[in-house]
Amino acid sequence: MAINREQALAATLAGASARVDAIVAPRFQVGAKIRMRNINPRGHTRMPRYLRGHVGTVERDHGVFVFPDAHAHGGGESPQHVYSVKFSAKEVWGREGGEHDYIVVDVWDDYMDPAS
Amino acid sequence: MASSAHTRPLSDVEIRVKALESLLVEKGLIDPAAVDALIDTYEHKVGPRNGAKVVARAWVDPAYKQRLLADGTAAIQELGYSGIQGEDMIVVENTPKVHNVLVCTLCSCYPWPTLGLPPVWYKSAPYRSRVIADPRGVLREFGTELDPDVELRVWDSTSEVRYMVLPERPAGTENMSEDELAALVTRDSMIGVTKIKV
Amino acid sequence: MNGVHDLGGLDGMGPIVVEQDEPVFHAEWERRVFGMFLPIFATGHFNIDELRHAIERMGAPAYLNTSYYEHWLHAYETLLVEKGAITAEELAARRAAVAQGAV
Repeated sequence: MAINREQALAATLAGASARVDAIVAPRFQVGAKIRMRNINPRGHTRMPRYLRGHVGTVERDHGVFVFPDAHAHGGGESPQHVYSVKFSAKEVWGREGGEHDYIVVDVWDDYMDPAS
Repeated sequence: MASSAHTRPLSDVEIRVKALESLLVEKGLIDPAAVDALIDTYEHKVGPRNGAKVVARAWVDPAYKQRLLADGTAAIQELGYSGIQGEDMIVVENTPKVHNVLVCTLCSCYPWPTLGLPPVWYKSAPYRSRVIADPRGVLREFGTELDPDVELRVWDSTSEVRYMVLPERPAGTENMSEDELAALVTRDSMIGVTKIKV
Repeated sequence: MNGVHDLGGLDGMGPIVVEQDEPVFHAEWERRVFGMFLPIFATGHFNIDELRHAIERMGAPAYLNTSYYEHWLHAYETLLVEKGAITAEELAARRAAVAQGAV
């Protein structure tokens, strides 16, 4: 029942990836301009508030992963694409943002809409 | 009275930990030998010397560096490092034009297989709140001054993808061996708050 | 949730304090809390997202005024009781016994 010493050490090397082996269509392509949704969930989310409503560019598609907002509340894995999205500091912080500063964040499909 | 290794009363948190562990062991839910082994692994065996070896290899071997930047997980695993909190690795390269720095604003996500467990400052509110908003100010506090036209990228680790910085190789190291190079690589340079100085 | 853990951009959190040659663990109890992570996880009572959310549910004053491994401890205690692996009564009784030196 309890994992023993050998199993524990094996587990540290194997890890526990959150990648899901499922075929899920991505909603966005690399290069897409997106706008972060204005969400205010009462439960768990991995969207930081500082990104809400801001426009960024999809730089990379990491593939399909577990969606924490669902998984933390008995909603299953809800597998979807996670992307590296780049935001300028000026976009996020306004005037106070550094001219040549950028923030790159991992963002799930459900956190974004296409930017008009 | 039960024998005690303590010469002072236990603090509240010590009582809580002892209570929880003993209860879980009694119920057969956890094995203390597994707990001991995990402590030993992360206290003594896994740490930033792993990441330093990855960096040194990338500095001396351009093909390895390409593999590292293309598929961090696989390239890091070539050197024998893998596992928990590093299952999906991305290595970001610092260059004269682009400087990368890492944070997890929401908690403490950090690439354990290459850097070990994170330092307290990385996990604490001051760093997590400020580096995302004033990265140049924070870097300055760490003694790092960037040219104004260098692009600075702050990576916020919100997913289970884990990041590591490949720092710039400092000048004057052309004749160093791979081991000598690895010895130069600091943990802080692989987070991105400092550059490596010779 | 709009919790205080969502720290990006907040002011007033104080200076970044760096401890030179910081040890991996600052106390024996921190070691035990860390070491219990994987074994408790392996019991399958909760997933990593539930663990993070349990920490987020600590409430702002507790979150800001307790240390990192106390956050983990809080999450273990909360989730193991919520998921029925242990009861709050058992835990309280065991704490009392430990406090009296009986364990």
